[in-house]
Amino acid sequence: MSEEIIQIETPFQFSEENKREFDELIGRYPVKEAAMLPTLHLAQRQEGYITPAVMKYVAELLELSVMKVKDVVTFYPMFFEEPVGKYVIRICHTLPCALRDCKVVLDHLKEKLGTDVASETNLAKGTTDDGKFTLMKVECLASCDVAPVIMVNDDLYKNLTPEKVDEILEQLPN
Amino acid sequence: MVQEKRILYEHLDVPNINTFDVFRQHDGYTRFEKAIAEYQPEEIADMVKEAGLKGRGGAGFSTGEKWSFVPRDIEPRYLCCNADESEPGTFSNRYVLEKNPHLLIEGILICCYAMGIETTYIYIRGEFTLGKKMLDAAIKEAYEQGYLGENVRDTGLNINIYSHPGAGAYICGEETGLIESLEGKRGQPRNKPPFPAVQGVFMKPTVVQNVETLCNLPFIVGNGVEWYTQMGPTYGDARFDPPKADPNTGTKLYCISGDVNEPGVYELELGLTCTELIEVAGGLRGEEVKAVIPGGSSAPILTQYELDTRLDFTSLTLAKSMLGSGGIIVMNETRNIVDCLLNIMKFYAHESCGQCTPCRWGTPWVRDIVQRIADGEGRQTTITRPKFGITESGRWGDTGETEEIYEDLDLLENVANNIANVDTMTWNTICVFGIAVSWPAVSYMRKFRPEFEAAIRESKLVTLPVAEATVPPEENYAYQQRIIPKEMVDLE
Ligand SMILES: Cc1cc2nc3c(=O)[nH]c(=O)nc-3n(C[C@H](O)[C@H](O)[C@H](O)COP(=O)(O)O)c2cc1C
Ligand code: SF4
Ligand code: FES
Repeated sequence: MSEEIIQIETPFQFSEENKREFDELIGRYPVKEAAMLPTLHLAQRQEGYITPAVMKYVAELLELSVMKVKDVVTFYPMFFEEPVGKYVIRICHTLPCALRDCKVVLDHLKEKLGTDVASETNLAKGTTDDGKFTLMKVECLASCDVAPVIMVNDDLYKNLTPEKVDEILEQLPN
Repeated sequence: MVQEKRILYEHLDVPNINTFDVFRQHDGYTRFEKAIAEYQPEEIADMVKEAGLKGRGGAGFSTGEKWSFVPRDIEPRYLCCNADESEPGTFSNRYVLEKNPHLLIEGILICCYAMGIETTYIYIRGEFTLGKKMLDAAIKEAYEQGYLGENVRDTGLNINIYSHPGAGAYICGEETGLIESLEGKRGQPRNKPPFPAVQGVFMKPTVVQNVETLCNLPFIVGNGVEWYTQMGPTYGDARFDPPKADPNTGTKLYCISGDVNEPGVYELELGLTCTELIEVAGGLRGEEVKAVIPGGSSAPILTQYELDTRLDFTSLTLAKSMLGSGGIIVMNETRNIVDCLLNIMKFYAHESCGQCTPCRWGTPWVRDIVQRIADGEGRQTTITRPKFGITESGRWGDTGETEEIYEDLDLLENVANNIANVDTMTWNTICVFGIAVSWPAVSYMRKFRPEFEAAIRESKLVTLPVAEATVPPEENYAYQQRIIPKEMVDLE
């Protein structure tokens, strides 16, 4: 994929605030490329996911080829290349959580949201039709003492039961 | 009962300890001040070496020794703090970041002073949003108070700390993977040598250190080497007792999860046994201990016969396992070891970075074999070997000896050992992720072989009673190799 072939409908640009944050970020490293992950995080927070336009913009900012940016985006599970729901629900399913019945919580979430679990290459599979939720499994969230756990966007919820999941989902603003 | 010995975690629950003022009231930054006032940088490095501090992140390598590899004539040098905590079963760094981030900053300051480092990157796991927020706020305060930035506290030192978020890849916890990731690339580990101490981030000398390791520094400086080396086990053997070659000094933030009544982080002196730790964590949830993973999911499993193994670097190495990250996962009699291995292998198959063929292909292959066994489709064959004897027709000839072979178990061991051989400790991969795959795979299978065989034989998962599922000590190779510390007398 080279710059020319990417179809970009609307170009992407950082908001004023993010631009300021980026300018601060870039000063931290002796080479621009090192600002890649924080820059992509900023962009994803603004745009929701990493579109081709985002990649092009980031490539320009960091003076790299788009291919290099794409290379990085595809490596890390936290960067999405497809739209995701307003709330991304990450459920941990590694051993300590499995020993504490995370499967019950997962099944409950699937039933309640009426969706399957997203895979890294198919996020739509785990996204509800109204685009409100995306459900995905993740590996150990370093909270095994309070297992089972989920993360809803940036917030961690602990010691879950199906009832607690219901409460959490109800609290979320539309 | 063993008592908790809170040092790193002593003030963890003090309200607002995350703010500069409260931290300061609890001796905050006084140890850094003591370091600059009373010691030369080299003296600090010597103290750390004498204290016998070992890395708490996984490898357990002597911190002082690692520092001694850093060439002091190449500028700039960097410190990377490894806050990527993603080893399943480990969650102690998280609490430091969320509750007491100034302690980490003080540790970093001491390391920077000792090593003449001006720039530190804290590589913090992408999912730690709260941790990063608290840490960033603390860093900001430290700048405002003059403990960071140019000319720190009028000492002429320039020290900067930046936090750097990861993005969900386990392999970025490996030190060279972390460095690649920090440089803005895929987090694929590098070949070693050159080691990061010589050529690390931006190809400059780099010290990579875990959060917990760095948090030990203020206490070593503040209370002295002698105080520090008193903590930890004594074996009555000069080679293992501090301050000799292979010391186990200080405390460890043991993370205990799974089938115990009160999972959590317990800070204890190194060297208590598995049984004692389970007791500290509120006892077992269930009737009987079936298995214990002692050092994060990468560590070889321990059986009920090995619960008297002490949880320190030396003892666990002698038990052919490792303390690793200190993540202890307990399993009771209701757990099926095949199922547990499947869970762990799914994790590794997902997290392989894909650079080395044995790891990229071998890990999913191991996962598939375990999946097959768990699905009741494990392969079994009967083989016939030539054997001389009296045949049916009454003549001397080949009688054909038949034997039941659990083909998939042999295959499992074979594939795993070709990623990394657990007996010879050689690996065919760039990083030791390979060992982290074959260690659990082979150890679970060898130590709980009856349960694997039963699953294949009966074409479904069968959870055997603990005594039946476990290979008895006399047949357990690792167990025989093990030496119980108390009796470590005639090792030579
Ligand atoms: C696959 C793999 C994952 C690792 N993950 C971590 C981790 O999450 N956190 C950590 O501190 N060290 C991790 N390590 C260990 C680091 O490579 C390195 O040894 C450590 O950060 C050095 O710091 P220390 O000497 O203070 O322990 C990992 C190692 C490997 C091979
Ligand atoms: S061993 Fe696995 S994780 Fe490590 S570098 Fe090779 S492919 Fe990557
Ligand atoms: S296994 Fe779920 S948080 Fe560690």
